[in-house]
Amino acid sequence: MSMPWSIFESGKSANYLQRNFDIVRLFVAKRLAEKGFILEPLEKAVEREWVRKLLWKALPAREGIVKGAFVYVPPNTQISAPLSMCFVVDRGAQWVHNVLFIGDNSEVTVSTTCLSAGEGEEHQGFTEVYLGRGAKLDYITIHGWSKQTSVVAEVGVIAEEGSTINEFYVTLRTPQALKSSTRIVGGRKTNILSSTLYVTGAGNSTLETYVALEEGASAEILSRIVATRGALVRQPITVEARGEGARGHIECRGLQLDPSSMVETIPSLRSMHGGAQLTHEAAIGKLSREELEYLMSKGFSEDEAVTLLVRGFLELGIKSLPEALKPQVTATLDLIAKAAKG
Amino acid sequence: MTLLKLEDLHVEIEKNEVVKGVSLEVEAGEVHLLFGPNGSGKSTLLRAVMGLPSYTISRGRVIFEGRDITALKAHERAALGIALMHQNPRPISVKLRQMVIELSRKFGSDPDLIRDLNLDGLMDRELYKGFSGGELKRAELALVLLQRPKLALLDEPDSGVDLESLRLVGRIINEMADRGVAVLLVTHTGAVAEHLRNVAATHVLVNGRIVASGELPSILRTIRHKGYSAFEG
Repeated sequence: MSMPWSIFESGKSANYLQRNFDIVRLFVAKRLAEKGFILEPLEKAVEREWVRKLLWKALPAREGIVKGAFVYVPPNTQISAPLSMCFVVDRGAQWVHNVLFIGDNSEVTVSTTCLSAGEGEEHQGFTEVYLGRGAKLDYITIHGWSKQTSVVAEVGVIAEEGSTINEFYVTLRTPQALKSSTRIVGGRKTNILSSTLYVTGAGNSTLETYVALEEGASAEILSRIVATRGALVRQPITVEARGEGARGHIECRGLQLDPSSMVETIPSLRSMHGGAQLTHEAAIGKLSREELEYLMSKGFSEDEAVTLLVRGFLELGIKSLPEALKPQVTATLDLIAKAAKG
Repeated sequence: MTLLKLEDLHVEIEKNEVVKGVSLEVEAGEVHLLFGPNGSGKSTLLRAVMGLPSYTISRGRVIFEGRDITALKAHERAALGIALMHQNPRPISVKLRQMVIELSRKFGSDPDLIRDLNLDGLMDRELYKGFSGGELKRAELALVLLQRPKLALLDEPDSGVDLESLRLVGRIINEMADRGVAVLLVTHTGAVAEHLRNVAATHVLVNGRIVASGELPSILRTIRHKGYSAFEG
């Protein structure tokens, strides 16, 4: 098989670009390759038996999806620069299966961008993450879809004892139909932070999150949804405590900028152990007239005030971001706040 | 030229007249204090001058730098150089840091202007959510400074603040006046007055009307000894 990938002589990280079913670019910094870091097509990675055994453990199995990226971070490896992956569909359908294996006590930041353009009709992405003991993963996903694209995006995480995952999902543009699902199973003493910033116009979206917590594990699930004209958004979030001392908190807030929109948040807490502590708070509302008038008194026109409040609403849903990704997220917030106002 | 001139200003909130014919002139660099009991219309007057939509000017005019701005919207008045320090704003869903960025960009001001106000620990907080009285006043004053106003409307900058913050507020107002900024300041207690170097005039507003204007010491003495009833009738 001829591979369009190479090892960087210089550089600090790695990147992967897939267009439809073709891998267009795949680079790995030489210094990472020398540490045993692997980024390669999944269909090559599954030649190893241990990789084959990993498949579909974190998500329900799907048949016939072989294209995607495989990432292996060896134990005790810290990668400072973000690893970047990008998936673009501009014709027909794209099905993607990614597998990320982060070794014990390693730290890595992964930035994934999924986009559609042109005649891209369908994207189905399935990402499985295996997080070793004491490992730390910052995982950011940015979506930007054309209206006509139908999207299914699933992320499954198995987090071993003492590991930490900071998962962050933001949309630039939403499609007519989107179904996303995040499923995280946290082992003993894991720390989970999951943040969703979702701004959507006309279309139907379901954003589902399920987090299971073993003994001493903690999770914070934050969500900010902004619904504009014709948006229908449904967001079930479940946190399930399975062990002593598990702690979970859900905070979901919806902002309706147009009366024709519909937002439904369904926070659900399930405790399988008496020693767990689970809480949630949820609120849906429209922009406050009082806040708008306050900002107008500070010199902002009504349109500028709306943009500022939408941006603030989203930004306040971010609790923690890796330094390396802050400029990218700041620029993204500026864009989507302006777009939300229309 | 007079910077701010109010001509027989009447202000309504939901069709209830709260300000009932106020006339006032403020020159550049002057500090004017406005006293009055609760509900006398002090905050309403400032908000109407700022042009907040819920405050309807039913009669009279607001003249700024010789121009009738009665029909202008709040953000248009801010662009001309009018800034309002709110008395007790509710939380705003924007981080203080973002407000500083946006106002500096909009008014071409240097964020260094607000260094003395000790706001570093508040920058990544939601504006005014859980702020103490002193923090709230310092943050509001900072936002006014970033607007580089010609006229600052300060609504009770001295309420709910500790003595140290009070001194700081006084110093900042003095510095604004030194730079030629006109200040119309509403105070309930007059606590900030002793920290102000030059007060050009002091007014008393009772039941929506200015019932007395004069020197600060004599007006303050009357309020302290006889109460606002001394100005009525």
